[in-house]
Amino acid sequence: MTKTWRHRPPAVFRLDDDHVVVDAVKETGVSSRQPVQVKPEAEFDTLAITVDEPGRSSRRSAHWGTLFWCALGGLILLAVGVRVTDLIVDLLARNKELGGLALALAILATFSLVVIAIRETAGLMRLASVEKLRQRAADMIVSDDRVEARALVQELLRLTRRMPRLARGRAKLESHLADIIDGADMVRLAERELMTPLDQQARTLVSAAATRVSVVTALNPRAIIDVLFVLASALFLVRRLAFLYGVRPGTLGFGRLVRLVVVHLAMTGGLATSDNLIQQMLGHGIAAKLSARLGEGLLNGLLTARFGLAAIDVIRPMPFVALPRPTVRDLMNEVLRGFGDGEDRQRSAEANLAITEVP
Amino acid sequence: MDELIEQIRLATAALAEFSVHLFNPTIRLGVTGLSHAGKTVFITALVHGLTRGGRFPVFEAMATGRIARAYLAPQPDDAVPRFDYENYINALAVKRQWPDSTRQISELRVVVEYQSANGSQRTLTLDIVDYPGEWLLDLPLLTKSYEEWASESLRLSRQRPRAELAKDWHHHLATLDPNGGENEQEALTAARLFTDYLKVCREKNYAMSLLPPGRFLMPGDLANTPALTFAPLDLSSEGPPPSSSLWAMMRRRYESYRTVVVRPFFRDHFARLDRQIVLVDALAAINAGPDALFDLQRALEQVLGCFHTGRRTLLSALLRPRIDRILLAATKADHLHHTSHDRLETILKRLTKDATAKAELAGAQVDIVALAAVRATHEAVVRRGRQQLPCVIGVPVAGETIAGETFDGETEAAIFPGDLPDDPEELLRGDKKSFRGLATTSSREADFRFLRVRPPPLELTDNGVPALPHIRLDRALQFLIGDRLA
Repeated sequence: MTKTWRHRPPAVFRLDDDHVVVDAVKETGVSSRQPVQVKPEAEFDTLAITVDEPGRSSRRSAHWGTLFWCALGGLILLAVGVRVTDLIVDLLARNKELGGLALALAILATFSLVVIAIRETAGLMRLASVEKLRQRAADMIVSDDRVEARALVQELLRLTRRMPRLARGRAKLESHLADIIDGADMVRLAERELMTPLDQQARTLVSAAATRVSVVTALNPRAIIDVLFVLASALFLVRRLAFLYGVRPGTLGFGRLVRLVVVHLAMTGGLATSDNLIQQMLGHGIAAKLSARLGEGLLNGLLTARFGLAAIDVIRPMPFVALPRPTVRDLMNEVLRGFGDGEDRQRSAEANLAITEVP
Repeated sequence: MDELIEQIRLATAALAEFSVHLFNPTIRLGVTGLSHAGKTVFITALVHGLTRGGRFPVFEAMATGRIARAYLAPQPDDAVPRFDYENYINALAVKRQWPDSTRQISELRVVVEYQSANGSQRTLTLDIVDYPGEWLLDLPLLTKSYEEWASESLRLSRQRPRAELAKDWHHHLATLDPNGGENEQEALTAARLFTDYLKVCREKNYAMSLLPPGRFLMPGDLANTPALTFAPLDLSSEGPPPSSSLWAMMRRRYESYRTVVVRPFFRDHFARLDRQIVLVDALAAINAGPDALFDLQRALEQVLGCFHTGRRTLLSALLRPRIDRILLAATKADHLHHTSHDRLETILKRLTKDATAKAELAGAQVDIVALAAVRATHEAVVRRGRQQLPCVIGVPVAGETIAGETFDGETEAAIFPGDLPDDPEELLRGDKKSFRGLATTSSREADFRFLRVRPPPLELTDNGVPALPHIRLDRALQFLIGDRLA
């Protein structure tokens, strides 16, 4: 009788039967004289892992800009090249040794430029891959696809390979790769194992930066130094967070990263639903009534904390699903607590963390 | 009137319990399942995993180490036997035997000491009840009169393939006159023949599910009492039965069956559940054929209709507890390769479509999962010629047959049970093109053969039995109690 779906009838193979070969190694040497071959599956490695390219991003209009900058860069390079060649030829005509030195310098410069370009590109690609990973993880929570989730976890393991504090989490996660766990659960599990230590560290970084900004701007008499300090510590914070989550963006990538953070901050309007920002502002209004400088300092700290959280949203390779997203309120409480005795407490908190995280 | 008194009784019990639970949070976990669905094994594995620390990566509270310890505590009801966890786990690990089917009700209480995510120390009490799955079929009788039940049973018994099995009982039934005088001997014979018919229906090859009343199949301590000595009659006339007729006698006994057996059972064990897992052995029904699958669907529909589901509110907690999370679990998922688990889940989803929709509408959360509380197989790919078959390797229990081979309970084999369709409707089409099971054909011809497999070999350690292998038991736990351990 024909079936409307692809149906293969049941079958059974006794493992003690002579016709049945239980072997995973002799795969190539099996002839037709051994008709049945059983290959036990220890891992999911046998499955073909396919990764879909995510759809093209919507920034199509940026292509002309890219083209423009590429063309301009090419022109400048050509101009510089002509000048340098002229110089070397000139020097060679005057003095052989000087010419040779110039040639060597030129080669060295070109070589290092290539290396820098490669590293920058790698940094940019890492940044892009992190964005992609986060998107895929979010999709997988919905689609619950087992095979895809495994591919994703493998990539996360690769991304976090160089992070010593995740050694235990990685080992645990790797031991579960062979288990039968559904896609969404696998993603949650990976988030719990890999992101918990990083999130803790990220929180400490952000609240430390916010405290520093609050204290400095409250004590500092000059507005211009305030501005510079806030800017510098915000950028420094983004950089440290990026290294923490394993992005290592490079200079160009860093520029792009800061832009992403600012865009993210603008899009969420600095107002996450979980945060009661008005209350925070009011509180700082009262602080400002008591002391204008104190209020200003706290406000700056608050903005730094928001900036840090936006940066975490952009840099973290997974969305917040199983773990709670840190809120401005939590961080500001820490800042206020740390306000009295400045950075000492923050340092000791960091030191404690470092101790507790040693497995 | 009866109904009203019953409701008041339930509300009083709920009120009394509410104050206790305020200080000592308790979850009543209903482990629901027809016979042979795997309730006892599920409870054993769950208790073992909680108390001995199983390998539960998806169960967040345990994986992150927030559960300090879990232990067995004396159960609340002194009149109910204790769930014999130690014996069951011993039989599984040492003798490598599945527990026999449950004959009576039993109970167990697990206390979980944990630290909530914000740091406070708490305890959670988990009350679990095990009972013969046959008794579950009694619950739908609560809303049926004798006449309704009799006509429904008769109608069912005249359908294919039951008609063949019910022949003897039908012959005897034809000789009975409902309006004739009471006759104890006739009633005894009718009850015996009716019970025989139910028993045959339950056998592996037919695997019928909808076989009320449950005590006929698993009488417990009520065997041979008048409350179990009745049977459906072929009633033609309407209205009240003539006094002291056979009809009146049967009707009276049916009523006492409901008041003596069904109502207390429901009241004590099902009316106050917080969470429910419904274990369904869909594979046994697929083994037997389309009729068994239809029957399973009807039985699930009726049973699930008895439960009170909906969002938990303060008022509901005070007066009438509701089940706010239901997990539908297709058990024995280790009988097929994991690539087919999604299809098994779709089949279960299709079987419980109406009940699920109703529960979700009332605000309860419903999830569907293919699980194996104790995983007895491992997986392999078998290459035969150019074919690649995803198989499971295990030791089939003695007497299982597939494709003409009979097993002795010692031989290991790689089993390919047949491809399940992506679309569950293919299994539920009642026409000529539907699949063939053991009810209509031999084991060589059947389209699916899911073999029962012996429990896995486990090495005993000094501390007793090690963690049992499982499939998605942690996911089930996370869904059922994970939020209460947050």
